[in-house]
Amino acid sequence: MARSLASWLNRLAFLRGLVFILAVVVALTYLGLSREVRLGLDLKGGTQLTLQALPTQEVPEITPEVMQGVEAVVQQRINGLGVTEPLIQISGRDRLFVQLPGVADPDRAVALLGDTAQLEFRKGLVPVSALPRNEQGEVTAGENPEALFERVGLTGDLLRNAYPQAPRRGSQSWEVLLEFKPEGAEKFAQLTRELAGTGRPIGIFLDDVLISAPIVGPEFARTGITGGTAVITGNFTVETATDLAIKLKAGALPVPIRVIENRTVGATLGEESVRRSLYAGIAGLVLVFVFMVAYYRLPGLVADLALLIYALCTFALFQLLGVTMTLPGIAGFILSIGMAVDANVLIFERIKEELRAGKSLYKSISEGFNRAFSSILDSNVTTLLVCGVLFWLGMGLVKGFAVTLGIGILVSFFTAITCTRTLLLAAMAIPSLRKPELYGVRMEAAQS
Amino acid sequence: MTAQELSPPDPAGGSRRLLDYRFDIVGRSKLWFTLSLAVLLVGLVSMAFSLASLGTPLRLGLDFAGGTLLDLRFERPVTTDELRRALQEHNLGSSIIQLDTQTGQEALIRMPPLTEQERLAVEETLRQQVGPFERNLVETVGPTVGRLLLRSGLVAVLISFGLIVVYLALRFQWDYAVFAIVALLHDVVLTTGLFALLGLTVGMEVDSLFVVALLTIIGFSVNDTVVIYDRIRENLRLVSRKVSFAEVVNLSLNQTFARSLNTTLTTMLPLLAIAIFGGATLKGFAIALLIGFSLGVYSSIFIASPLLVWWRQRRYGGKGDPDSLPSGAEG
Repeated sequence: MARSLASWLNRLAFLRGLVFILAVVVALTYLGLSREVRLGLDLKGGTQLTLQALPTQEVPEITPEVMQGVEAVVQQRINGLGVTEPLIQISGRDRLFVQLPGVADPDRAVALLGDTAQLEFRKGLVPVSALPRNEQGEVTAGENPEALFERVGLTGDLLRNAYPQAPRRGSQSWEVLLEFKPEGAEKFAQLTRELAGTGRPIGIFLDDVLISAPIVGPEFARTGITGGTAVITGNFTVETATDLAIKLKAGALPVPIRVIENRTVGATLGEESVRRSLYAGIAGLVLVFVFMVAYYRLPGLVADLALLIYALCTFALFQLLGVTMTLPGIAGFILSIGMAVDANVLIFERIKEELRAGKSLYKSISEGFNRAFSSILDSNVTTLLVCGVLFWLGMGLVKGFAVTLGIGILVSFFTAITCTRTLLLAAMAIPSLRKPELYGVRMEAAQS
Repeated sequence: MTAQELSPPDPAGGSRRLLDYRFDIVGRSKLWFTLSLAVLLVGLVSMAFSLASLGTPLRLGLDFAGGTLLDLRFERPVTTDELRRALQEHNLGSSIIQLDTQTGQEALIRMPPLTEQERLAVEETLRQQVGPFERNLVETVGPTVGRLLLRSGLVAVLISFGLIVVYLALRFQWDYAVFAIVALLHDVVLTTGLFALLGLTVGMEVDSLFVVALLTIIGFSVNDTVVIYDRIRENLRLVSRKVSFAEVVNLSLNQTFARSLNTTLTTMLPLLAIAIFGGATLKGFAIALLIGFSLGVYSSIFIASPLLVWWRQRRYGGKGDPDSLPSGAEG
């Protein structure tokens, strides 16, 4: 009487465990599927750049402050580009790591980010007609710009805003409209007053290259051009005008930067490689599932169930933590499933041993779990240590791998022990499943 | 408890085998060490050849060597010759060109590092002379980036070794930890050596994922070793002191044998699938892991544990067990 009550209570406890697991599965499936999977650049296509800040005579050392300045300007310029979810990160002493998802055409981005974009208005010292010209007949500042133009301190810092502007009637060329801050407006008025009617040009320099040399009409001789706006004309297309406006608005970079690494993946390639690797991984896992049932029988089937729960839990956790899936990330995930299988293999081998030693099924299972525990703990901790090092020291893709493998191991530690145990003990509650053969141990061995 | 099955023999039993196991692994230590040394030799010779012909012990991929890689899909099938002619205009005629053999439309071109302007100029020439294309992949890695990657990879390996030694020394004993690291070094060095061989024979290159693979191998291989150590520790507590350390290790190896094989098998199945059918980017990675995991399970069983026995026998005499020493003699 007391025995049947105890077993009845036991069964109730396992039922509760089962209901709990089921609830977790449903909740995690819902959470996992309700969000869009965040794919890394290597999977959905995009551009990844590493920029290096270069010291100049004025800024001989790249300090953290300089890097913050560079980061802010790059950030502004990328915002102008309209990329969704860009990533900009200072890495190391003088590097900036930029990810532009979906930008499969890096050329414009590179051009946009690479220029220092130091705009400067200088006072012409000779008439336009005396300026040197290049092969296309455009005016240049020649070999020695200092002899032709004088710096007056009117630079891009004094701009408030810049816009692209459609071509005027009769012209093909777009323009860039500038709005000065009050101090800039004053300087600009003074500069134009001095130059009005003299035939000497304003030199508009971008990164020390003369891009335009307009002259100021004599009507401005008394007041200069007031109102704080100016227009740069040149051979601009809609794109180049937009890009220059973006750069000017974002301000100049404090130091020049150079692209030292560029990785661009076209969207189609990314899609194809994710599909192939994912299918291959899934095919491998199916084989693992089959192997587990073939070799370990009932516990193998239970382990497969636990593994499915594991995969769901881990995936849901990735989604909740906002882990970005990259190709190495998927590899880490698949490997972590291998680790989860390992925990089960350790336990089942132990159960078999206990059964062969002649213990009862129930005792063998609980002993199996207890004895395998320290092995599982030690092996998981050592792998986690390596994951930690990878995460701490690794960059980009390596980090993704460490994150998915690490999360996977933590989850598997939970599911391999809790889930498998609950499910196995629940199966034990069904009398027809209490046969040693179902645990891959031959009858005589179990009885001996 | 399980002590029953490990009970010492009855005194009359004399020279009868104390413990029942199938494979005498420790007894054939010399064979295992020789096998490993042979593979090590192959690796070292490959590295030497590679050093002589390529200038580096391994065939370095873009990540480490630096350079610009273009993966272009042309609208029509193209030939290597027309690509090379177009590249010749930029003095890049000696670039490495790989054409997709099936369609002939996809070309991988590897050049020395180019600036963005140079790269665009090269693309423009290709477009004009060869035809329109879609860009699958552009990679430019400056030579300094590679050095940085390599250095941080090496640092990561060393730090992992350090952490593992500390953890194992705490959980087990310091000599266990040292031989676990010897086994790990074995795996890392032999995998690298075999990759040098693959680099010479099939042109396999190592990239930053190779470093990740090495670290993963370390993580997994130490797993196998730890599981065996764990069993040795447990058995040492259960058996009588008359049983030698070598016997205990042999027993533990036999007990964990099925687990080691099954775990390696289940981990390798998905990797094998990725290596054969997966995308090109992960292929080298999967192959590195396959080689490393095989070496890892081998070294855990056939290197780390026999070494531990050898060391204990040397240090503590015949039985190899510190407990069997006369009292007071233990250092």
